[in-house]
Amino acid sequence: MKRQRNPALRSGTQRPNSIVTGTGSMLLVEADHSLPLVHVGVILRTGSTHDPQGLAGLTRLTTRVMRMGTRTLSTQRVEERIDSLGAQLSVGCAPSYVQFGGVVVAHNLEPFLALIGELITAPAFRNRDLARAKRETAAELIASCDDDRTLAARHFRAYALGKHPYARSVVGTTQSVRAISREHVLSQYQKHFVSRNVIVSMAGAVHEGDALRLCDRYLTFPKGSAPKDRVPPPRLPAGRRLLIVDKPKRSQTQIIIGTLGTHALDPDHTALQVANVVFGGLFTARLTHEVRSVRGLSYGASSSLGHDRERELWSMWTFPAAKDARQCIELQLRLYDEWIKHGVRPGELRRAKSFLVKSHAFEIDTAQKRLDQRVETELFGLPPDYQDGFVDRVRRVNREAANAALKRRLSLRDQTLVVVATAKELHKELSQLPHLGEVRVTPFDRV
Amino acid sequence: MLLLADRRAPVLSYHTWYRVGSKHEKPGKTGLAHLFEHLMFNETKHVPRGQLDRLIESAGGETNAATWVDWTHYQSELPASELPLITRLEADRMQHLVLRKPQVASEKEVVANERRFRVDDDIEGQVNELLYATAFPNHPYGWPTIGWMTDIESFTPEDCERFYRTYYAPNNATLVVAGDFEEDAVLELIQQRYGKIPPARIPAFKRPRAPVQRRERYLQLKKPTPAPKLALGYYAPAFGHADYPALALASEVLFGGRSSRLFSRLVREQELVTDLHGSIAPFADAGLYEIWLSLRPGRKLAQAQKSVERELARLCKQRVPTAELDKVKNRMELGFLQGMETASGKAEQLGFFEIVGGDAASLFTRLTALRNVTAADIMRVANQYFAPARRTRIEVLPDGGATEQEHEGADA
Repeated sequence: MKRQRNPALRSGTQRPNSIVTGTGSMLLVEADHSLPLVHVGVILRTGSTHDPQGLAGLTRLTTRVMRMGTRTLSTQRVEERIDSLGAQLSVGCAPSYVQFGGVVVAHNLEPFLALIGELITAPAFRNRDLARAKRETAAELIASCDDDRTLAARHFRAYALGKHPYARSVVGTTQSVRAISREHVLSQYQKHFVSRNVIVSMAGAVHEGDALRLCDRYLTFPKGSAPKDRVPPPRLPAGRRLLIVDKPKRSQTQIIIGTLGTHALDPDHTALQVANVVFGGLFTARLTHEVRSVRGLSYGASSSLGHDRERELWSMWTFPAAKDARQCIELQLRLYDEWIKHGVRPGELRRAKSFLVKSHAFEIDTAQKRLDQRVETELFGLPPDYQDGFVDRVRRVNREAANAALKRRLSLRDQTLVVVATAKELHKELSQLPHLGEVRVTPFDRV
Repeated sequence: MLLLADRRAPVLSYHTWYRVGSKHEKPGKTGLAHLFEHLMFNETKHVPRGQLDRLIESAGGETNAATWVDWTHYQSELPASELPLITRLEADRMQHLVLRKPQVASEKEVVANERRFRVDDDIEGQVNELLYATAFPNHPYGWPTIGWMTDIESFTPEDCERFYRTYYAPNNATLVVAGDFEEDAVLELIQQRYGKIPPARIPAFKRPRAPVQRRERYLQLKKPTPAPKLALGYYAPAFGHADYPALALASEVLFGGRSSRLFSRLVREQELVTDLHGSIAPFADAGLYEIWLSLRPGRKLAQAQKSVERELARLCKQRVPTAELDKVKNRMELGFLQGMETASGKAEQLGFFEIVGGDAASLFTRLTALRNVTAADIMRVANQYFAPARRTRIEVLPDGGATEQEHEGADA
């Protein structure tokens, strides 16, 4: 009989509650004193979807400049202090949230929180730092063209979702970043870094009482709520469309094919998660088996189902040799078609459910992972028992539900294909793929 | 066998390390150890093709493998209750692997695609391969672990069978189990599964002579990239060598974190590069200290190189101040603790220290070894290992799609 030693692993009712700090922010704590480490997060409920039209990259740039110094600390002093404390700090931006995330040796938690607090509540926003951050961002955008997988992912979102906020690059473009001024940055900061828009999280060697005391001392935000999330439901253009990202001398292609999926609260979401495990979520899944194991066409082959507050993209990813690209795409489209039309088989469903239920132990085996789940629950406005109820929801998925979810949510008609390849070698061949409504080519280094 | 109980969560990490890597291969058969890593997931006498992955996945587990110059490493993460399953599967594939033509042919294709992904279409992958080929001619560290493409294409089932019978045996393996288990139960189960597997006669590995180099080796490439790159490789000590901790700290002074000397200089002050890193190859024999810089478009390689050389020279001439030394030691302590957060992390660290360092227990004294390094130690190793004449340098220039050119010669 398996023993359950960690109380947090038992049931939802025993999970610690959230705490409200003195200024009205939410504090989540997951204690685990087995190692002298504490993971810290300051998370905002808004992200790049709040970038104004023409200013893509503003939210990310704002957080980046915040790290570059306070009224009393230069950039170099900030970085010296982080490293000297035995800490790491990363500042990340996603479509629906921003995170200042760090980890520190436990005995330095207080000075680390003091530093994060100073960065967030008293940023200098110096003109020279903003100018430097803009130059760095422009250089990184160009450098990202070296990585074919990154190119494929970026173009896939943009081509699939058009003008929807989810299509927007979190980093922005060279043009949009150039247009950002200090006034834009200040305005974005003042609107969003307000108490009721902030979640503070701590996991590891920390007690709840200490966490609250430190929060109240160092992480105090102006009172207020951020502007409401106004992201409309995304739509995919009709038909099957192909974009070739043209890069010279490619011996291999990067291929992403996808369509709209679900959002986290969609009643079909769990059934689709299970069905996706059958299709491309495991090493023995249909896609991996047919593409890699049987034919050796690609080293990797997988599918994934994103989720956010609105419908996100479902996609499959492969990277065959250029000579095999057409064969691989045709195979993928055929497998996809069969999956939607004929659904999942009983044995496949049983194995997928067994994997999801039993592997759930690895979703909650560290304090940090358990805390991440609680943060996600808050960020996406999920029911309090959403994470703890995952295993039961998976158990309840039957074949009818999985197959109905596939038919209801994944389109047989509207699909986006993005291929990073050398266009002069593959354009003609790929243009002959079945039922293509549109074929476009774009240079790889246009950022 | 190495066991480390950690009962915080009902999970288990089961790792098997074989003391065979690409350095045990022969020219013309490079990549065989890595191909084997793939073949081990195929068919055995008792487990049909694809069934190993299916059984592990149905049990809620995940499995993977990795190969490098000194070792091949198989790892499975499973719910704690699945110990009987994983011991059965691992013991079975240690002795009953089936190596037929279709399996070998299919995996060769997969590996060829992996090579395109990691090397042929990846500039840093290509440069790293060239760096070692240039620094280690006539030495097993000079060929890539994934193998040359022509070698990958030429493997036969007979090559594979011979390799398997030579290196896959209990006396060439270390098992590491970390997680939620009872020691007696694990020992009994492992005795039951592995106890009767015969040992193999493992060929003695003749340690190659370290390359002799009296002047810098230099290559220049042109690639479809928007910005220049620079790779430098200095001969460095083996992982188990007494100088390794001091050189690791020297590396941390140069590249560790955003306050490090080279990040501050090249990224922040001079705005020359977008990406940089430096590290010692953690090999059982002497390898390279590798430096990689990806420049901003339009910036000059010579300027970046000069800045790197200036910082290396400073490390050779001036002692690292105490506050800076304390800072890098704190960073290394953090890295150590982060590596111990999960059962999988613990199993990996233990196995690595045993196979590459020669002693698993040295994992637990590593932090002390790092803490004991002095500023004088760092200055000494910097002088010993950062000699320009014993360096290999590779430059990558943007070609805008033009034909690739390679030049070789001594630096001016």
